Amino acid sequence: MKTALAVGLGVAAIAAAPLVASTYHVLLMLPFMAYAIVLLGLNLLFGYTGLVSFGHALFIGLGAYAGAFLTTHAKIRSLEVILLVAAALGALVAVPVAALCVRYVKIYFGMLTLAFGMLFYTFVLKFYRLTGGDEGTPFLRPALLGRSLDAMPKIDYLVGPYYYYSLGVLALAALVMWRIVHSPFGLCLKTIRDNPVKAETLGISVTRHRFYAFVISAIYAAVGGALLGPPTGNVDPTLAYWTHSGNIVFMTLLGGFTSFFGPVVGAFVFIYLQNWVMSVVPYWRLIFGAMLAVIVIAAPDGLVGLVTRRRPALTGRA
Amino acid sequence: MDQRLEGVAVAHAVNVLLSGLFHASVLFLVAAGLQVVFGVQKIFNLACGSFYALGAYVGVSAVGWYVGAGGPPALFIVPLALAGLAVGAVGVVVERGLLRFVYDRDETFQLLMTFAIVLMMEDAIRLTWGTAPRSTGGLYLAYGQVRLFGATVPVYNLVVIAASLAIALAIGWLLARTAFGRIIRATADNREMAEALGVDMRRVYAKVFTLGTALGTLGGALVIPATAAMSEMGIELIVEAFAVVVIGGLGSMRGAFVGALVVGILRAIAISVYPELEMLLIYLIVIAVLVARPRGLFGGAAA
Amino acid sequence: MTRIHDTTSRRQFMKVLGAGAGVAAATLLDVRASHAQSTGPVKVGVLVIRAGVAAPVGAAGLRGTEWWAERVNKAGGILGRPVQLVVEEESNPKDTVERYRKLVLQDKVDVVVGGISTGVTLALGPVAEDLGTPWLSWDGTTQKGVEETMPNPKWAFKSVDNEVEAIVAGILTPKYFKGIKTVAGIGNDYSYGHDCWESYQAVLKRYIPDVKFVLELFPKLGVTDFTSHIAAIQQSKADLLMCSFWSGDATIIMKQAAAVGLFKTMKGVFTTAGGVHDSLKKDFTPEGLLLGYNTMYFDDPKASPLLKQFVREYKAKYNEYPPYECDHAFFNAESYKVAVEKAAGPAKKWPEKAQVVRALEGLEIESLSGRRSWREDHVQMCNFYQGITTHKNGYDFVTIDPIEMVSTKQAMKPAGSKLFEWINGWKV
Repeated sequence: MKTALAVGLGVAAIAAAPLVASTYHVLLMLPFMAYAIVLLGLNLLFGYTGLVSFGHALFIGLGAYAGAFLTTHAKIRSLEVILLVAAALGALVAVPVAALCVRYVKIYFGMLTLAFGMLFYTFVLKFYRLTGGDEGTPFLRPALLGRSLDAMPKIDYLVGPYYYYSLGVLALAALVMWRIVHSPFGLCLKTIRDNPVKAETLGISVTRHRFYAFVISAIYAAVGGALLGPPTGNVDPTLAYWTHSGNIVFMTLLGGFTSFFGPVVGAFVFIYLQNWVMSVVPYWRLIFGAMLAVIVIAAPDGLVGLVTRRRPALTGRA
Repeated sequence: MDQRLEGVAVAHAVNVLLSGLFHASVLFLVAAGLQVVFGVQKIFNLACGSFYALGAYVGVSAVGWYVGAGGPPALFIVPLALAGLAVGAVGVVVERGLLRFVYDRDETFQLLMTFAIVLMMEDAIRLTWGTAPRSTGGLYLAYGQVRLFGATVPVYNLVVIAASLAIALAIGWLLARTAFGRIIRATADNREMAEALGVDMRRVYAKVFTLGTALGTLGGALVIPATAAMSEMGIELIVEAFAVVVIGGLGSMRGAFVGALVVGILRAIAISVYPELEMLLIYLIVIAVLVARPRGLFGGAAA
Repeated sequence: MTRIHDTTSRRQFMKVLGAGAGVAAATLLDVRASHAQSTGPVKVGVLVIRAGVAAPVGAAGLRGTEWWAERVNKAGGILGRPVQLVVEEESNPKDTVERYRKLVLQDKVDVVVGGISTGVTLALGPVAEDLGTPWLSWDGTTQKGVEETMPNPKWAFKSVDNEVEAIVAGILTPKYFKGIKTVAGIGNDYSYGHDCWESYQAVLKRYIPDVKFVLELFPKLGVTDFTSHIAAIQQSKADLLMCSFWSGDATIIMKQAAAVGLFKTMKGVFTTAGGVHDSLKKDFTPEGLLLGYNTMYFDDPKASPLLKQFVREYKAKYNEYPPYECDHAFFNAESYKVAVEKAAGPAKKWPEKAQVVRALEGLEIESLSGRRSWREDHVQMCNFYQGITTHKNGYDFVTIDPIEMVSTKQAMKPAGSKLFEWINGWKV
């Protein structure tokens, strides 16, 4: 019950933001919420199953392009349809990719996912007659709950209806993920992460569970990707570049992959910190690189790990 | 086919082959450092492209200084190679200062550490050399051209190919004939055993990482007269290097050599025959290899 | 891998409170001047590319803007108010849209200048319209942007169409190169490269109806080795090579081509390599190529004192010679200033943004490279400089002589028309 209270307060704080914070900062909450959804899914794979994907930007791109194609070419504006199609497309593409990738772990898994990510990027960039190439495809303003809000000024739409819709999707996604990780399935994942051999002897199919975890994480990434599109109004191939995949892993690590809400915190801190640092210093990559190095060395449990005052766990290789 | 047409076809084949070999040499130089480090330390160093870029920029500066100081242009390759080798010392700084803290961590963290190094090096290079493309100007042409079977080939390209080959042979000799090489191979095969037999892992790791870095920086320096140093070139190169080591097999120098040849020559053929395919072809081959034979042509056991 | 510990409610609570506090703190910490001002400095937002292949172009634009700002401030500012540049990074479309919104909503700039890459400017257009602040773009306008996403902009002012220099090159090719029957093309694999090639082809066909295009290569941006591409070009035995590279890759291909003597038997047209003109050393850049400098040629014998001063001071400060982006930047900033002064009228009352926009439409001013203006439909009008490379100069790189100056009145499609319809309707 106390957990529910804490989460409720958090949601209330986010919900109150449009009333108290400046327009610009409210707008920054939009990618935060989209990335939070992506990271909840990514962490199912990373934190709970022990697999680090370096190609998840593929699914972000997939979801974003799905939405762009639907609004621009298929003239479908309903955000519900867009999110469903994004989720379905994410799952569809994830099935063969996951089937191939989950046979391997650690570095090979990372490399294979990176390869798939860059294949998608190259495809989208090259087939410009279909996808718009580097110019991308416009993502027109989605209709929410059946109501077209094209008449509103875009900013009002973004900090109003679209903001709360995103929050709703995030809350739903978090709820579903909470149930997943606390279910027997989630328990199996943790067992597999900690000791795959033991898991097999217990009768848990390692590859099957990793497969499902991958597909679920892909669905989350695609939904998050679809939500990233409307504030920009355009989707382009850079959404699928490998450094974008690296950044979302960075966010997860920053917040703390050992806790459920850690990655969400990571997304928040990353976005606001990057926003501040970029304006102050042109060499922000240097600072962020240093930050990542420090986290990896001294605080691998991330910010949440620091706050809960846990010593960084040193994992043995043997 | 009449003789002239035949001659043209041969000349073109020679051009394709040599341009493929040139590109393969470049790729090998980027990938060699990656392989050495992975083979021994089991770390996939995303920053290998950044070290290559560093070598390129340092090479331009070194040559610029050399020519400005009045050195004979024909010998420019000497300060170039020396500078490329010397700046490999950065490897020591990176290894001692950053990497060694994550040796006992999961592979993921090591990978992320190298990602952090990529970010930092991007800006460090930008800070030092700015964003304008840097080049050694016309020195590329200093050694002239040769005609081979009707094709005109810049001698410097042959120099790069020869250097690449020489380095490959040198590494081969190092691994097979020297004590250090034996230690590297032993550690790559079975680290615990090597440690148990008294090998000081700390020293080995430092040396190996520095060797890997130096291979990258030397490669960058040697190639730069034929091209130009541009912003974010390290981030672009890692993608191709990645393809090379996957095809060849992670951790294997022979794999880097063969993988580079495969990618370089296939790319050259694709450009002449079916240019749209180019990069897509490489990715498809990467995925096919990872799926069918994940350890590549010469790699060790997968996962 | 460390274990996940289920956190207690207290810790969760703290985390969540922290998040809320973070939002509040970020809001408070980051507040800058908040009221619409007619006193205090004039804030000019500048979007600059800092990384990647286009970074030197971004740097040139920023330098041009900084030079303009210094000059203006030395002369007392705009209507007595000093100019303050607020610089943000242009990267990918999503992040740049965020920076743009920051400039307008947070920093409350009076105008935004900058924007180079086509994907970014395409995304920024609707955002600029939505936020109601004038945006003067340096570069990046493509047909898609003009026809599809921003047919009637109110606040956005677009650069010259992307492919004008290819059109100019197409017009000049038959003038300087006779007997061209086959043409090979190489360009970067993105909208600019494709658009240039298609426009060049369309124009050349008007002058040489049975010209054949025997090869087209589109290596992606960032490639540093073209030896295989050059082999394919040689194999094609084309009479002429058209190349639309504009960054370090132009230098590289020129070098690698020289190493095999490509241009000894082939003509060359480099539509935009003037962007890196001072890296095209005489050592490896032959005479007799058609070379385009986009809209500013630093060594124009007819250069105004203003341009001469700019080139001199730029060289002194950066040890480089300025490329064309400097004048895109100067024109944008200077036209804004003149528009403000015009809209202020004799009363010298600081005008509303909408008034400034109206004053910009149709405005013609003296820029670094001569007269430039804003067409009524918010597209820049200026002159393009291309010419035949020569070694007869005092530099270690090539310049052009003779110099052709072609106006956008001739080489850019008129407002409201479609590009290929217009080209195919020319009287030739």
